[in-house]
Amino acid sequence: MSVTASSSARQSVGNMAEADLLTALKQRSPQAFSALFDTWSDKLFRLATGILEDDAEAEGVVQETFLKFFEKLEQFEPRAKVSTWLYRVAYNASIDKIRKRRPAQMWLGNDDGDGAEFFPGNLADWRYAPEAWLSSLEAQRELTRAISALPEKQRLVFRLRELDGFSTAETAEILGISVGSVKVRLHRARLLLRETLADYFSERMKREQLL
Amino acid sequence: MKCEDLVAYLSEYIDNDLNEALTAEAQLHLATCHNCRVVLDTTQKMILIYRRQQRQAIPAARRQRLFTQLQSAFLNKSEPTP
Ligand SMILES: [Zn+2]
Repeated sequence: MSVTASSSARQSVGNMAEADLLTALKQRSPQAFSALFDTWSDKLFRLATGILEDDAEAEGVVQETFLKFFEKLEQFEPRAKVSTWLYRVAYNASIDKIRKRRPAQMWLGNDDGDGAEFFPGNLADWRYAPEAWLSSLEAQRELTRAISALPEKQRLVFRLRELDGFSTAETAEILGISVGSVKVRLHRARLLLRETLADYFSERMKREQLL
Repeated sequence: MKCEDLVAYLSEYIDNDLNEALTAEAQLHLATCHNCRVVLDTTQKMILIYRRQQRQAIPAARRQRLFTQLQSAFLNKSEPTP
């Protein structure tokens, strides 16, 4: 099964619901507000903490994003994509806060010309590793650690594509980078993370055989 | 297609983003190259493991406060003057 097929299906279902939600929001329906909040608050918070690593600041980003959305609500066309808009605003608000913290640092530009292409080194075959290993907390932790070690620009692209289910074009729009950059960053992130898990699982295969 | 090419196209192959000719070449290579098959399959497994992770939510107290603040901002917002 293709990994992408499921995420684009998820997005198109979201589109249909979004149009109805938008209509109800324009009528100031309290239920519509609850639905909006329930659907997006945690997702926006995760995006913001992923960048800021600070709960209080991330909360501020979520608040700012929704308030901006309420201001813009009347201008939203029925076909407009609420999800992409919210993510882009939350992303930009997070980046603004980061810039204030680290003014000298160059943030996510379009420059991807750094470093040689990575080639898979660990070819251990862990495709048939027991399900219990794959879902183990230990494996999860290895992956989480590897993700936080990724360059920031790769980490965000990976998140938006694989966890939040945005398409390549939507990810490019949210981050304000080119489609080509999204592809390059995603490719590198995937290979690096695969390598980390290959190292972990091959160690574990060795370990278990010793027992 | 060589292993180097397959790896270079791996991500686009996963996303069904390659044209027909390249997809066919990639499939041909994957049918005969064990290593590339392993790299492809384990990359997809890695993605599945990532998606399965526990998703972090806003801590309850913050969530409640945000909800209350935003709800009143939303409901008290005056209609735009025509
Ligand atoms: Zn090969």
